[in-house]
Amino acid sequence: MKTLTNYRLLNPKLLIAGFLAIGGIVSSCDSLLEEKPKTIVTENFYQSKSDFDAATNAIYFPLRMVRSEQVAILSAHTDWGYGRGSRAQYNDFQGFNPTNINAAAERWSGFYEGIRNANIVIEKAPLSEELTEDEMNSYSAEAKFLRALTYFDLVRNWGGVPLRTDQNIAQKDVPKSTPEEVYAFILADLADAELYLPTGASAPGRPTQWAAKTLLADVYLQLEEYGMAKMKAQEVLDAGEFRLVPIASVDDIRNKIFGAALVTSSEEIFSFKFTRQTGQGNGLPWILNHPSTGLYNFGGAYAHYGDATNPFHKEWEEGDLRKGLWQLVDFGLGDSTIVNGKYAEPQAVDNTGAGNDIPVYRYPELLLIFAEASARVDGLTEENLEALNQVRRRAFGLDPGTVSDKDYVLEELTSENFLDLILQEKAYETQFEGKRWLDLKRTGRAEEFLMKNKGITIAEKHYLWPIPLEELNFNEAMSPSDQNPGY
Amino acid sequence: MKKISALIFLASISFGISTDTLAESHSPSYLQDTVPQRDSIPPPAIDQTDGAISGTIKDTDDNPLPGATVQIKGSETGAISDDSGNYTIAIPADQKGVVLVFSFLGFQPKEVRVGNQASIDVTLISDDQELDEVVVIGYGSTRRADLTGAVAQVRTEEINAFPTSNVIQSLNGRAAGVQVIQNNGAPGGGVSVRIRGANSIQGDNNPLYVIDGFPFSGNPTNLNNADIASIEILKDASATAIYGSRGANGVVLITTKSGSGSGTVVEFDAAYSVQTLREKLKLMNGSQYAQLMNIQAQNDGLAPYFTEAEVAGFGEGTDWQNEIFKQAPIKNTSLNISGGGENTQFLIGGSIFQQDGIIKGSDYERYSIRSAINHKISDKFKVDFNSTMTKLVTARRDSEGGSRGNSMIGAALGASPLSRPYLDNGTINHLADDFPFVSPDMINPLYFINEQSTVISANVVLANAAVSYNPIPDITIRVSGGVENRDDRTDNYRSRQFINSNGNASITTSQYISRLNENTITYANVFNEKHDLNVLAGFTYQDFTTKFLAGSGAGFLSDLYETDNIGAAETPGIPTSGYSSSTLLSYLGRVNYGFANKYLFTASFRADGSSRYSEGNKWGYFPSGAIAWKVSEEDFMKSQEAISTLKIRSSWGQTGSQAIDPYATLNQLFPGYTVFGEELYNFLAPGSILPGDLKWETTKQFDLGFDLGLLQDRIVLGADYYIKTTDDLLSLVSLPSSFGYTTTIDNVGSIENRGVELSLFAQILSSEFRWSVDGNISFNRNKVLSLNDGQPILTNFINVIAVADNFSIMEEGKPLGQFWGYQEDGYTETGNIRFKDLNNDGEITEADKTYIGDPNPDFFYGFNSNMTYKGFQLDLFFQGSYGNDIMNVSAISSTMDYGQGLNMPEEVLLDHWTPQNTDAKYPRISRSSTARVSDRFVEDGSYLRLKNILLAYNFPLKNAQGKFLKSLRVYASGQNLLTFTKYSWWDPEVNSKGGDDRLGIDHFSYPIPKSYTIGLNATF
Repeated sequence: MKTLTNYRLLNPKLLIAGFLAIGGIVSSCDSLLEEKPKTIVTENFYQSKSDFDAATNAIYFPLRMVRSEQVAILSAHTDWGYGRGSRAQYNDFQGFNPTNINAAAERWSGFYEGIRNANIVIEKAPLSEELTEDEMNSYSAEAKFLRALTYFDLVRNWGGVPLRTDQNIAQKDVPKSTPEEVYAFILADLADAELYLPTGASAPGRPTQWAAKTLLADVYLQLEEYGMAKMKAQEVLDAGEFRLVPIASVDDIRNKIFGAALVTSSEEIFSFKFTRQTGQGNGLPWILNHPSTGLYNFGGAYAHYGDATNPFHKEWEEGDLRKGLWQLVDFGLGDSTIVNGKYAEPQAVDNTGAGNDIPVYRYPELLLIFAEASARVDGLTEENLEALNQVRRRAFGLDPGTVSDKDYVLEELTSENFLDLILQEKAYETQFEGKRWLDLKRTGRAEEFLMKNKGITIAEKHYLWPIPLEELNFNEAMSPSDQNPGY
Repeated sequence: MKKISALIFLASISFGISTDTLAESHSPSYLQDTVPQRDSIPPPAIDQTDGAISGTIKDTDDNPLPGATVQIKGSETGAISDDSGNYTIAIPADQKGVVLVFSFLGFQPKEVRVGNQASIDVTLISDDQELDEVVVIGYGSTRRADLTGAVAQVRTEEINAFPTSNVIQSLNGRAAGVQVIQNNGAPGGGVSVRIRGANSIQGDNNPLYVIDGFPFSGNPTNLNNADIASIEILKDASATAIYGSRGANGVVLITTKSGSGSGTVVEFDAAYSVQTLREKLKLMNGSQYAQLMNIQAQNDGLAPYFTEAEVAGFGEGTDWQNEIFKQAPIKNTSLNISGGGENTQFLIGGSIFQQDGIIKGSDYERYSIRSAINHKISDKFKVDFNSTMTKLVTARRDSEGGSRGNSMIGAALGASPLSRPYLDNGTINHLADDFPFVSPDMINPLYFINEQSTVISANVVLANAAVSYNPIPDITIRVSGGVENRDDRTDNYRSRQFINSNGNASITTSQYISRLNENTITYANVFNEKHDLNVLAGFTYQDFTTKFLAGSGAGFLSDLYETDNIGAAETPGIPTSGYSSSTLLSYLGRVNYGFANKYLFTASFRADGSSRYSEGNKWGYFPSGAIAWKVSEEDFMKSQEAISTLKIRSSWGQTGSQAIDPYATLNQLFPGYTVFGEELYNFLAPGSILPGDLKWETTKQFDLGFDLGLLQDRIVLGADYYIKTTDDLLSLVSLPSSFGYTTTIDNVGSIENRGVELSLFAQILSSEFRWSVDGNISFNRNKVLSLNDGQPILTNFINVIAVADNFSIMEEGKPLGQFWGYQEDGYTETGNIRFKDLNNDGEITEADKTYIGDPNPDFFYGFNSNMTYKGFQLDLFFQGSYGNDIMNVSAISSTMDYGQGLNMPEEVLLDHWTPQNTDAKYPRISRSSTARVSDRFVEDGSYLRLKNILLAYNFPLKNAQGKFLKSLRVYASGQNLLTFTKYSWWDPEVNSKGGDDRLGIDHFSYPIPKSYTIGLNATF
């Protein structure tokens, strides 16, 4: 019986009919070959406000990811910092070896990925039919701020670079622009950013008008347009939006200014934000700390260190709480080796999972930018001296607004040594924030300080980082002659 | 053409299996008449009452075959031939017209229907007589003699010659034109197969694997070697074009064992192997290491790290290779029960394969159950069902590559012999802190072994059912449905004891399902006894869907949780999931026409529509044609005896490759997170690959070959010449990094493979002492014909800190995978390496890089010898490769990265540059010594190895008939016992990076072991 049943099921006519039917279905369904991915494709995106939120957020990610290395390397290019292992070569001041050339190429790629994402927002926002004009301007301004900041990093470290803009977004080959062209582009972006960015950030870590003005002041300082620099810095000071965080101990610096659990502070103008989450944390604290200090829950790589016998450190006045961030740790390189514990993190999720933010601009730096720009325009004044003294008082745990015995006194200074004091104060204040080397280059005093503090002569090729080989090989608008000197 | 000598003693393997079934279901009808083992004699005319039949059983050389079995088909009644090959078997009166089955190990069984004769003499044909066997081809089968294409066959005894964790490893050296590259020695590790060279840059170049008609998702890891009846390798376009867009890399057809219709057979196989590291590298001991460190300190102007007395007192120190390597067993057991009768045949099989890796903690286990049922419902209907369920569990210890001891293998070589593995309290010693000069990257390899685990567990089901209908005998309509389902789950756990960890767990699961429907109609007939026609037409549908889900957590209060409670993590990770799907629709057709059994013609066509390609480029068309001339069938050949077989074949055809992933042509946006405040915000951005508008890769192949059999096919020679050209080559093209995209995929050019394959079989002795040899050799020349704009493409970027550069180049006129680097020119006065300034511009720049090696072999080969005498069997199997270079990336860290506290080969201490030794092998030991990708790291990777040596004894169970045990064979064998090579590192069979533009790289890879095996095969 069973066989019979099976046999009926397999009636030949049915089978042939089935055979043909399947053939019919299959052959009539070319739509089977249409791809229906469960992801978003570009073609129907970039319309709504939430689309642009997502697109704008994408600018931050690559920029955050390159930041800790950028800061670490710039800190080895100083008169006070040293790198260990493969990083030792950064403080030889003789240019880069192949390892470090490659590492520089990775930072370059990260910067340009951020620029690409910014260009997408700037290109697409005006095309959206759903955004209001204000929203369009606001997204563009945020993107332009980040693009300007990134080009500022590129042009100061690499010199002239290809200008990738929202206009040439689809163009594979773009020639190298001159530094002047890059700066002009930065200024244009910042003019828009200054105009359309909000005065208060919707979330800590997004730029404000004040961030744009601070960045503008720094760019003008770089361009030696001191009047403009002073004006922009002054606008931020006058707004009264920021104030120095009062501190009484070294730990206060760690916790109240750079703390891992801190969301923001009254002196934060613009920072890249990190949180205790795999893939979303800051790698710099692990790179800097040493296990013996217990400041990082996974020890640390102490890949960067200092030397207590270096004149920079020796001449640093005792009592300055910032000096207290350095601790003696002899890990085999001599008993004067010091390690920095500015970024402490007791609860990181992994080596790159620290919650500490990386500051781009803090109020004390703005005060010093103002002091320098003002001094260069007007000479030494009460006002610009006060700006310097505020930073200095706070560093000694004093009330920033109250005259103290640590103050520099107007009568004892000249305009010249005042500028020296500002440069030095900035060096103390912004350690491991990636500022010193760029200031030394800007002021033309790198050679002098490196000789004084490290006894090193800087090779000419060290002043600009090498353009990545992938750029020169695959960008047909560039040729090997576009490479920076010495590579 | 691969020739296999099926010698005797393959007791564990039942041969009757598929030949009958296949011939019936797929072959032209005339085949059944000519299949030689089936001598049909008209039914008896006279009653034979109490009959007995006797006769003599001989081989083709007229030697009597003692111990051969005669059995009444479908019954237990049987007899054994005596020393003179004579037998007598009683035939019960009620069993008229029975069929007698004559069988003997190593010979093809023969069936004779009993008529009215009282005596039947039979001649059994050795299994070595290859040209009459049935060969599986795409969507059908044919006699080997009627093949028009280039098809190699590897048989079950070769597949089972020694234990391999992967069936495909057993093909190494067995078939001309088939290169099997074991990427590393990890249990369950990857295997790359190249049939007639690599034709794609973007695609993976592995052949399509088809298991019992089902195009499988990749390497058939779900099968045990003992499951397999035969493997056919389709090489030329005439054979592969029927697989259209998946045929360009060749097709491997795997036929599993199925039941036979002659009583129940139980086969039991068991083997036990012990694997060991083939050879340790000769590294410095404690004292030598301390000496080298002191030399470095001195050269770098530092005070010596150790005093003379300390150096002398260090002695041997820790041998880190002993810390990670061990002796490791393989246990392999399988049981196959097959049987059935006239209408129904079945097979049920199960196997367990357990392999420990030679690196502690690594292992691979496979448990599988198979069943195969064939049932004849009526004269017109047949149903077949085949299923395999497999569980695979792999524990990986595969932290490879890296530099400065930041990987397990790197650290096993680079760790200081002065460091202890463990501290006194039993915890793992943190090596980077032991000495100030040790690189902070250095990680104790025991962390990877004891405190980190990766377990991949997969359940694979492959099931396929088919109904065949013959409305008239000449027409077969076949409808099949099948499914491959693969659920896998990867658990990673890094314990709280691992350096810089407070416990990290991640789990990834994925579900892959492929559904297949195939509908074919076959018409086969012979007209006027001369025109032999076989026509196939069909359409098929296959889809492929993958989903995955991943979760993770960091920070656990206890290691007890491992990956089994990620909710307990202090920081739960962000879960991710994904989906990808593609569809392949196909129409196929083939015509085989034979005229007078002398001239054979084949034409085939397949149209494939793939969802992966962009609109307008979705369909690809793949035609082929072949002709063959059986010269030996011509009358003018009948007068001579020397040439027993001669066939000349030629074919041309077009195949394709689905070299891109689903959605590769779409402008997708990828999600991610960024941070504001302490909160996560999601974002969407394009990826780093710029999508392109892509066309199919198409491979055209021409083949010319012959098969020559001499002296009744005691010597068989096969030769093929082929030329393959792949156009519209898909490749990743680098973009300037300022573009924001790093690469794009483009149809950039074309590539050519041409080559010659030779195979030879010779039955040297066939008396009581039997000796046969076979061998094959393949010469393939790969050449990139054109690239976009003629621009070379730099590939294979490797960063080992001491060197970070592109190691390979793809350039017109050169083979794939060319090593690209600097030439060395001795040393400078200060002992630094001097590189050749090839463009004489006074500087060493990128422009001074040149070709420094070629990872493609000039030829590769296999050679096999089988000897038997009485119950003894001795097999030797050699396999090798000649003329291929290996880029020893391991040596960059291990011999050139000074000042990092790395242990190094003893040679570095004994022969480095000093003012007194200026032509040393290694430069001055100083951290300012710089290395580049240079010819120093390129080594000759040629090797010849004794892949297997086997000695077996087959117990003479002469009167086995009726007894419980029918056959018993025991053996001892050794794998990789001898290797002749100049390569300096662990093993020349290495391919760390897998791909073809990155071929021949050795970068701290899990080495291939040697092993000793004992085993037994029994039949009940």
